[in-house]
Amino acid sequence: MRTVNLESQKNGTMSKAKEKSAKKRVVEEDDDQLPIFDKDVTEKKAGEEDDADLSDSEESVFSGLEDSESDSHDEEEDAEEGDDEEDDDDAVILDEILTKSSGVETATEPPATDKNTPTDIRNTVGNIPMEWYQDYPHIGYNLDGKKIFKPIRNKDELDEFLDKMENPDYWRTVHDKTTASDIRLSDEQVDLVHRLQKGQFGDVNFNEYEPSVDFFTNEVMIHPVTNRPQDKRSFIPSLIEKEKVSKLVHAIKMGWIKPRKPKETTPQYYDLWAKEDPNAILGRHKMHVPAPKMRLPGHEESYNPPPEYLLTEEERMAWEQQDAEDRKLPFLPQKHSCLRAVPAFSRFIHERFERCLDLYLCPRQRKMRVNVNPEDLIPKLPKPKDLQPFPTTMSLVYIGHSSLVRSISASPTGQWLVSGSDDCTVRFWEVNTGRCMKTLEVGGAVKSVAWNPNPAVCLVAVCFESTVLLLNPGLGDRLVVSSTDQLITSYEPPEEDKEQAVTWALSEGPEHDNGHRLTLTHPKAVKQVVWHGKGDYLASVMPDNSSNLQVLIHQVSKRRTQNPFRKNKGLVQCVSFHPLRPYFFVATQRYVRVYNLIKQELTKKLMTNCKWISSMAIHPGGDNLICGSYDCRLAWFDLDLSTKPYKMLRHHKKALRGVAYHKHYPLFASGADDGSVIICHGMVYNDLLQNPLIVPVKVLKGHQITHDLGVLDVTFHPTQPWVFSSGADATIRLFT
Amino acid sequence: MSQLQTRFFTDNKKYSVDDVPFSIPAASEVQELSNVINKLLEAKNGSHSQIEFDFLVRGQFLRTSLSNHMEAEGISTEDVVEIEYVERFTAPQPEECMMHDDWISSVEADSEWILTGSYDKTARIWSLEGKAVMTVAGHTDVVKDVAWVRRDGLTSLLLTASLDQTILLWEWNSERNKLKARHCCRGHAGSVDTIATDPTRTKFCSGSWDKMLKIWSAVATEEEEEVEEPPSRPRKKQKTEQLGLTRTPLMTLSGHNEAVSSVLWLDSEEICSASWDHTIRLWDAETGSVKTTLTGSKVFNHISYSPLCRRLASGSTDRHVRLWDPRSKDGSLVLLSLTSHSGWVTAVKWAPSHEHQLVSGSLDNLVKLWDTRSCKTPLYDVSAHEDKVLCVDWTDSRLMLSGGADNKLYTYRYTACETDAGA
Repeated sequence: MRTVNLESQKNGTMSKAKEKSAKKRVVEEDDDQLPIFDKDVTEKKAGEEDDADLSDSEESVFSGLEDSESDSHDEEEDAEEGDDEEDDDDAVILDEILTKSSGVETATEPPATDKNTPTDIRNTVGNIPMEWYQDYPHIGYNLDGKKIFKPIRNKDELDEFLDKMENPDYWRTVHDKTTASDIRLSDEQVDLVHRLQKGQFGDVNFNEYEPSVDFFTNEVMIHPVTNRPQDKRSFIPSLIEKEKVSKLVHAIKMGWIKPRKPKETTPQYYDLWAKEDPNAILGRHKMHVPAPKMRLPGHEESYNPPPEYLLTEEERMAWEQQDAEDRKLPFLPQKHSCLRAVPAFSRFIHERFERCLDLYLCPRQRKMRVNVNPEDLIPKLPKPKDLQPFPTTMSLVYIGHSSLVRSISASPTGQWLVSGSDDCTVRFWEVNTGRCMKTLEVGGAVKSVAWNPNPAVCLVAVCFESTVLLLNPGLGDRLVVSSTDQLITSYEPPEEDKEQAVTWALSEGPEHDNGHRLTLTHPKAVKQVVWHGKGDYLASVMPDNSSNLQVLIHQVSKRRTQNPFRKNKGLVQCVSFHPLRPYFFVATQRYVRVYNLIKQELTKKLMTNCKWISSMAIHPGGDNLICGSYDCRLAWFDLDLSTKPYKMLRHHKKALRGVAYHKHYPLFASGADDGSVIICHGMVYNDLLQNPLIVPVKVLKGHQITHDLGVLDVTFHPTQPWVFSSGADATIRLFT
Repeated sequence: MSQLQTRFFTDNKKYSVDDVPFSIPAASEVQELSNVINKLLEAKNGSHSQIEFDFLVRGQFLRTSLSNHMEAEGISTEDVVEIEYVERFTAPQPEECMMHDDWISSVEADSEWILTGSYDKTARIWSLEGKAVMTVAGHTDVVKDVAWVRRDGLTSLLLTASLDQTILLWEWNSERNKLKARHCCRGHAGSVDTIATDPTRTKFCSGSWDKMLKIWSAVATEEEEEVEEPPSRPRKKQKTEQLGLTRTPLMTLSGHNEAVSSVLWLDSEEICSASWDHTIRLWDAETGSVKTTLTGSKVFNHISYSPLCRRLASGSTDRHVRLWDPRSKDGSLVLLSLTSHSGWVTAVKWAPSHEHQLVSGSLDNLVKLWDTRSCKTPLYDVSAHEDKVLCVDWTDSRLMLSGGADNKLYTYRYTACETDAGA
């Protein structure tokens, strides 16, 4: 609708403009004398221009029609220049204006300069190059058809220069090529030039900021401006458009045109912390330390606190006596009858200052706390269940002794057990039934018994008081029993009798029938006897702090006794032979000394860190040793590792009395006065780089504590994972 | 209270009830079920007298309430439960108590006589009524095991094995009550702990602490076999003269790493032995080679074999009686553990006429009568002994025997229900 209107209006404007240009020409021709910029004309022109401008602006929106430009030019330019091409360049416009004005001037000026000639000397040759008239005396023809003659005087450069120097109007003098005359511009014309040079309108009176008059109303009309029905083509689809669309569709199908990518609708943000390591301990978010909070006021800070918050007189005294740092409350709760009676807070400044200190001194870095699970600190030990077999339950009780059983020893085959007791008897037991096979009375409380570890010899060493007795129990293989007897009787005394520390005596008569074979009478009370692994040597211990005669080594086959030590190095507690090599272990109260018997020198001295060693056992491999002590400790030494204990076990509550290693299984046991036997898994690896693995696996209880004594001796079964323990309750127990 | 659909059945025609499902309270126990059956039988047969029954659900004896049992066994309570009932095995009645002078190490009874070995170095022959008939003295050390070899009318051959490393073969005439040591079997280098006579009664096998098994001839002959007796041992010579002719083993089976604790014949060609080295070995008696090894985890004290169910029962130094299949190819499969003892199981013996029953003796002073269909609770605990039980036996003539460290040999009479016996 609107388009239609505009079109119609445009047409209208165009026709109007043509009319105007025609009219103007008429006017111009009518009043020649009038200055060009007549007010009326200007006004009219302005109105026309307005119209034209508006129409122009309106039209330019829709199409680049050239009519309007030509329109506007028409008004300002001369008739001959009406078809000039549109040019936006200011200078060119200025030129044209100048030429025009000069033309005008030529029309106006001549009466002033040249009185003879008719008033209008306008050249009528048209728009031709004036060089064509170079060779002629005239330069064209005026309106009357008469020749316009060139001025006679031809100005040369010098004239030009002089003119420039002398003529004050030279700056406003313009040369007119068409008439070859110099024209002096009037003041109005100079003003006009100046205004145009400044970009102002040529007409002084033109108001460019006139109030605008809406051509179209801004109110929406319900009726069209024109009553013309809509064109049919506005209803039917355009064939050209269709063609274009189909071409585009084809091009898209063929892939010549790529459809536009859909725009990313999600907003893109820049992640400021993208490069920050999320696991960094010092990460900003982790290191954030919130400002310490002020404690919220409690009831005691109330102006009228409940009575229980008010301090009594004594408390107040105590509060006043305390140091400021030690006070539980930094103020005294006070009771006021009403809020109005509350005085100003005297410590306000102080409190604020402290708050500032709190904020200022608040740690800026969080303390790094190592999060350690206490269970992780416990070494990873295998479960006892995986370390089976080991003794777990009490199976048999060997009952028969009437006093505490100090010492037990198992036969190398594992069929028999010998025990020595304070009731002055030695008993032999059948292991698997608990049957006492034999009881032998000896002349004193038996301190120690030891079964010969050699399976080819059937001898038991028993010590009581100052005697060591070698017994043949007559148990086991008859051949072995008889060969043992033969071994003992086949002794032939050497020719030269050496003085020995002990006296060897062969038993005879009823004692022989009881099994007594040899009696070694020591000078002092014997505490312990122990066999060498081969079964020929026997060591006995006579603890005595003041003598060097504490340990004796006897050779049974030769009935010889040696005192291996010349010096006394402390109270000897127990001794032991190395199971494989010629070493001899001597435990004094605090140290274990290892002697090389062949080189006769001290090899090692082990510091047990115990106060008083009670017992000692050597691992069958020979490289490890355990020591029990009266101060409830068990020390495991790895002889290859160090002279200090590899492990100290403090499992027992009371003094340890006996320790033992198993011959084949990786087990060791300790018996203590608390009546319990503790079985530990003690794995020794052949690999020297691997330390022994020690795992306590079982606490075996069963012995009653009598006279503050519990278990006195422990020993393992030679082949089965069974342990025997003898106790102060006169029993021997077998745990399997 | 929830109800269960049950159906009762039995092999015994005498006590059969109608084959219809009954609704029984799920919490009912053996006694209530037994009452139910008795009620049914009374309804059917007026002259029925009260009988105690035992009930089997899927081959397992009912020992708790029915619902608990079914929950433990994972039996669905939705279906009709098939319950088999059998006449209850009546408790063995203690009959005789035979006092010995010392611990009883072994016992073997046949249909007429009881032979016991004792720690007083003698063996004794008792009548079934508990009368001491004969004392077999001759060993110089504890008698560890005894065995009957055979009986020809009034003369019997018997064996005693001792800690003195010998086995003596005795001939005993029961009429004249005269005893004669026929042979002294020497060769073991340790105490002879176990002997077993083969099914043909011509050989016997002995196991010793010296890790060896030896097979000997059990036939009494008059002539002395060749024995290398060094003349320098007059004492031994004397003993040999005293105790009959010396006999040497036919064959020695070595392979065990520890003492042999128990030996028996599976049949005339196969010997089974248990040892302290945690193994049970099956030997070929002809070639003397090991056929199978069954490995356990504990020392074996005693084994017994039942030809009825072809199972080995073993007692070991823990509190379980374990059942083994001696024919199994992989040698370490325990079929079943009977667990109720609290001490070492020192003796086991299968019932001679019942495929499910066995008796075990333990160091916890108890003799237990087991049914393999109830492996958690024994049928009966016999707590007659005051000390360790060391040996048990079971005769065809409905007599159970047990001897122990309290010097007493107990005999128990039991009445097997006829249908169940040999079932």
